[in-house]
Amino acid sequence: MAQACQCEADRELYVPKLAVLDKVVPQTELETLFQLRFEDGAPLGHQPGQFVQVCLPGIGEAPISIASAPCEEPHFELCVRKVGNVTRALHNLAEGAYVGIRGPFGRGFPDDQLKGNDVLVVAGGIGLVPVRPLIHHILCNRPDYGNFTILYGMKRPEEMLFRDEIAEWESSNAVDLQLTIDRPHPDWSGHVGVVTTLFPSLELDAPRTRAVIVGPPIMYQFVILECRNKGIADEHIILSLERHMKCGVGKCGHCQINGKYVCQDGPVFNYHELKQLWEAI
Amino acid sequence: MALQVIGCEAVTQLLEKLMAEGRVVAPHQREGNKQWVFEDVKDPCDVCLDYTSTILPPKKYAFPPKEKLLHYELADRPKMEAVIEAEPLVIFGAHPCDIYGLNALDKALCDQKVDPNWVARRAQIRIVGVDCEPDEYCFCGSMGTASVSTGYDLFLTPLNGDYVVEVATPAGEAMMEGIPAREASAEEIAAVKKRLETKLRQERKINCDVNSLPLHFSGFEKSPVWAEVAEKCYSCGTCNLTCPTCFCFDVLDEMDLSLHSGNREREWDGCMLEEFAQVGSGENFREEREDRLKHRFFRKYSYLFTKYGEPYCCGCGRCVRQCLVHIDPVDTINRLLAHSGKEA
Repeated sequence: MAQACQCEADRELYVPKLAVLDKVVPQTELETLFQLRFEDGAPLGHQPGQFVQVCLPGIGEAPISIASAPCEEPHFELCVRKVGNVTRALHNLAEGAYVGIRGPFGRGFPDDQLKGNDVLVVAGGIGLVPVRPLIHHILCNRPDYGNFTILYGMKRPEEMLFRDEIAEWESSNAVDLQLTIDRPHPDWSGHVGVVTTLFPSLELDAPRTRAVIVGPPIMYQFVILECRNKGIADEHIILSLERHMKCGVGKCGHCQINGKYVCQDGPVFNYHELKQLWEAI
Repeated sequence: MALQVIGCEAVTQLLEKLMAEGRVVAPHQREGNKQWVFEDVKDPCDVCLDYTSTILPPKKYAFPPKEKLLHYELADRPKMEAVIEAEPLVIFGAHPCDIYGLNALDKALCDQKVDPNWVARRAQIRIVGVDCEPDEYCFCGSMGTASVSTGYDLFLTPLNGDYVVEVATPAGEAMMEGIPAREASAEEIAAVKKRLETKLRQERKINCDVNSLPLHFSGFEKSPVWAEVAEKCYSCGTCNLTCPTCFCFDVLDEMDLSLHSGNREREWDGCMLEEFAQVGSGENFREEREDRLKHRFFRKYSYLFTKYGEPYCCGCGRCVRQCLVHIDPVDTINRLLAHSGKEA
């Protein structure tokens, strides 16, 4: 045959594996936490920061960040906002339903770069979801890390995710959690202002701090600026980026940021490698 | 392998032989106009090997506009299985640029995670190439795609009413079995070489060496040329859809009328279309036409070029030939070069 490509293909590349929806935990008006496990009991085998393609036959597929840590296997969790066809349909499922899963895909958080250092997590809104596995992982292995700070900003108090956990983190000595909402609200007695307004009072040991930033696209440039002002080096700033995706395997072209595929080279990137990419931030 | 020579009647015989074995597609002229399309051959006499360019490249057979990936059956426990549709096929009369396009897609679709549907179709496709004469839109001479050395089983070069045949693979050898042919003379071999030299002397060319394009593009990020070109672009995506080296796709679930089962299908998509980089929340990462145009050019002449070592443009000229406002890659690249003072 004329073809130059003689490689072995995985016939099942686009075929999801069935998982069972074990638990549905409502979070906010728009977001719900789904706990799943593969029906064959196999672990998902992911790294914090990776994502899966969630598949509902007849509706479609959507890329969703994994919300749980590997140490919680064989269960895994997805925290999903109702925005499109697939995510809306997912919200209509009852416990016991089957969901198709492809993945895990992408590159997760670089744990080897975080270990032994102070970790500053900056999360905006639903950005807390992709970083939650990392938070769990650090809390599970707390002695491996230095100071651990989480800044979590949201527009309104009712948008707060994982309330029980946040209450635990607040009262724990293992992590310094600081919360903020964008504008004053009658039900809120805490800090008010966008997440960057938490930076001035932040005491950091800049050379040993690794910043992990996940939030809406608008947030990145401002948080990066604050991190740099605090003296954190560009190669110590780690971000997770969201893009449109169809295949998850570096073929469909939708998730491209300049020459990088978010589904293969990301979604977690080092700011140092993104600086030259004008489409990134 | 030694070159052979066959006459026109032998080409008809070859077509008849291949048709007896299975499906054969080849260029046909559209009635009443100077347009050609690859279609199933019903009668070898309808095949037109002397053509400039087809509306769509033969890529459409290896990577169809719409293709099933998955069949599902809805139930409490849904069933999903891979669908890989592939059948033996001969693409007869592909030009070197279009063969180059298929070779380029081999690299991209077999990189790391290998696309099973592509591989299955490609494995069953045999290719008979035919040499061509560039028209006023072609720029294969600049892209280094005026000839190819792999990706075909047979290659025919027209010469004085006959065809010089290069047999490139065992499958090609089998095709030629029983077809009356004689060995090419030294003069004929020299004529084939000369033909290529003539073909390379295209007036239309980019003003730099093709291999320096990724380097030049690294300085084009902020060029005002993008806005000038984008101003007339309709963002219709025709350039994407007619391109032999474009392979972006969308994935959609199609339900059967029964509402009990259906198929997951992929469809050609285009990075020039407005929603291409839009996420569920409504955020569009390439909202401006200029950004989409720039992305398309960078993908062809920088990103994928750097990744795979060759341009993701075969110089076929379809994008400009079919562009409603005549956006021309050669002119655009030359303007980018001229503006940055890098004209070679």
